[in-house]
Amino acid sequence: MGDCHYLEGNVRAERRVEYAKGLLDQIGLGADRLEMHLISSAMGREFAETTVEMTERMKQLGPSPLRRRGNEK
Amino acid sequence: MNEFEPQIVAFCCHFCAYAAADLAGSLRLQYPTNLKVIRLPCTGKLDTLHVLKAFEEGADGVMVAG
Amino acid sequence: MIVGEQKPLEEIKELVADYERILVLGCGTCVTVCFTGGEKEVGILASSLRMATKIDGQGKVFDEDTVQRQCEWEFLDAVEQEIKEHDLILSTACGIGVQAIVERFPQARVAPAINTTFLGLPEEHGLWTERCAACGECMLHQTAGVCPIARCAKSLMNGPCGGSQDGKCEIDPEVACAWQLIYDRLKAQGRLDQMLEITPARDWSTSRDGGPRRLVRQDLRID
Ligand code: SF4
Ligand code: SF4
Repeated sequence: MGDCHYLEGNVRAERRVEYAKGLLDQIGLGADRLEMHLISSAMGREFAETTVEMTERMKQLGPSPLRRRGNEK
Repeated sequence: MNEFEPQIVAFCCHFCAYAAADLAGSLRLQYPTNLKVIRLPCTGKLDTLHVLKAFEEGADGVMVAG
Repeated sequence: MIVGEQKPLEEIKELVADYERILVLGCGTCVTVCFTGGEKEVGILASSLRMATKIDGQGKVFDEDTVQRQCEWEFLDAVEQEIKEHDLILSTACGIGVQAIVERFPQARVAPAINTTFLGLPEEHGLWTERCAACGECMLHQTAGVCPIARCAKSLMNGPCGGSQDGKCEIDPEVACAWQLIYDRLKAQGRLDQMLEITPARDWSTSRDGGPRRLVRQDLRID
């Protein structure tokens, strides 16, 4: 936090992510499907690792309930 | 289940995470191909509507990075 | 502006339960500027409902539109066709807008997606507070521009009461005592003598107590 080009854009984003998580729970998608990560421009390795880890977590969760119902676009 | 490749949409700040993704690329680091990166001028631009649209269009997960 | 707050999604899901083709109709005026029922909020609500009902296995249609003002016939007429093609109009306007729809199109089924909360202003980004109770007889000239009807918990004409402590109202330490605000402002303007003037008991018939109100302006009438 605070390591932001626009000073506090990511702090605001975090609050919005929290709000959206609540909405995802109400919708039935589940807050777990939305993640916020703080990654600065020098963190190329962390970026790659985070995406790999998140992919793993999403695999655990399984496909989105919207896709599971055969509602795929 | 084995075949399941989660679709992930990543909203990345132009100055932080997007640059990090670039760096990861130039370091030849592997990251999942199922990741769709959307560049924002700043994650402060993140809009609840964008997150919902990503899910509506079939994303299994959404990542916000900045 | 008229300030409102969206109802919880769970509650809205119940409101739409018996309908299939739903139009989420926004309003481009008050509820847009308080981020409750403008085009963007309509988008968020419709998207949420599409997904929620799909997950529940119902899969309803939620179309979206926003008119400039739901409380004027002209703007509603512009979406007449759309209103008629849907079996429920889920309005994100204030209660006036919701009523206007069904007055103009008596066959329309309407449901409110928001709770109309008060007349107020954005004090800070993300914080709205009440300012006026539409009492029908404005007295702001006596109170240095602070409304004791809407902002004093007891709507006292001659305050403050004994519950005023350190500038806060006894109902809630977060709420400023309106009469303290009046006192401070009068003092700053050098007219504390105004505090000594006794305001007589008021005639509340101009307010809600007199029943639904109407306003006629002969100069504006056409026939
Ligand atoms: S319908 Fe309500 S919210 Fe919309 S303009 Fe009229 S008063 Fe304002
Ligand atoms: S005195 Fe009446 S009209 Fe004036 S601001 Fe207060 S409630 Fe509104």
